[in-house]
Amino acid sequence: MRSDLNEIAQIDQYLFRQFSEEEGKRFEARLSMNDALAEKVEAQRLAHRLIRLYSRKKERGRIEGIYQQLLEEPAFAHQLKTIFI
Amino acid sequence: MTLEYDDPIIELYRESFPDFARMVRRMGGSLEEAKDSFHDALLIYLEKGKAGKLQLHSSPRAYLLGTAKICWLHAQKKGAMLSLPEGFEAATPEDPDTEEREKKLLDSLQKSGKKCLELLKAFYYDHCSMDHIAGRFGFKGRRSATVQKYKCLEKVRKEIKITEIYAQ
Repeated sequence: MRSDLNEIAQIDQYLFRQFSEEEGKRFEARLSMNDALAEKVEAQRLAHRLIRLYSRKKERGRIEGIYQQLLEEPAFAHQLKTIFI
Repeated sequence: MTLEYDDPIIELYRESFPDFARMVRRMGGSLEEAKDSFHDALLIYLEKGKAGKLQLHSSPRAYLLGTAKICWLHAQKKGAMLSLPEGFEAATPEDPDTEEREKKLLDSLQKSGKKCLELLKAFYYDHCSMDHIAGRFGFKGRRSATVQKYKCLEKVRKEIKITEIYAQ
């Protein structure tokens, strides 16, 4: 794997706390001396937030789709109608 | 919206939601509120299941009803004293400025690379194996899928940098 991709893999390990204590300390030492690396770590942290945001949006869409599909079922729709009459 | 016909969630939804809706109705809530809280709870249930962190002490239905009730009480601000289920941040809004910024970033990402987002979702959110991902996205094997995963992450990171610079 390209060395910059290796670095991305390492940042992932750091962000997801997959390093051993020793490795984690070493990485943090590198981080404190390397602004460019620190910037990459922050961008990658945000990237993961965005992946989660995207995924949840998709998952909520899927759940909403299930609800809409169930509303097409007369028995289900009737049940809800009688509850909120 | 495409749905898998045998999606087990459909059955769980069908057999749980009316009971929850009845509960919300008794507590004076609306159908819309019942649906929102139920969807929050379902999201928590699905996420925990995918991450292998779902600990069921009873049936999925009972878990869902209990979680949805907490979500509903919390949404009504009646549940401040309740301890929230783990993963509840699924339902709580972010700081508005951060949310706005992240929304904009996500919009531009969706325009530039939907396939990458799908691949990253499959790995980081759905917790699919690299073999599964290789098959689904048409890579030779897990190694090339892994390389592609990191390339996609790099692409997202670069996009973030460009958008941030542009925004300043």
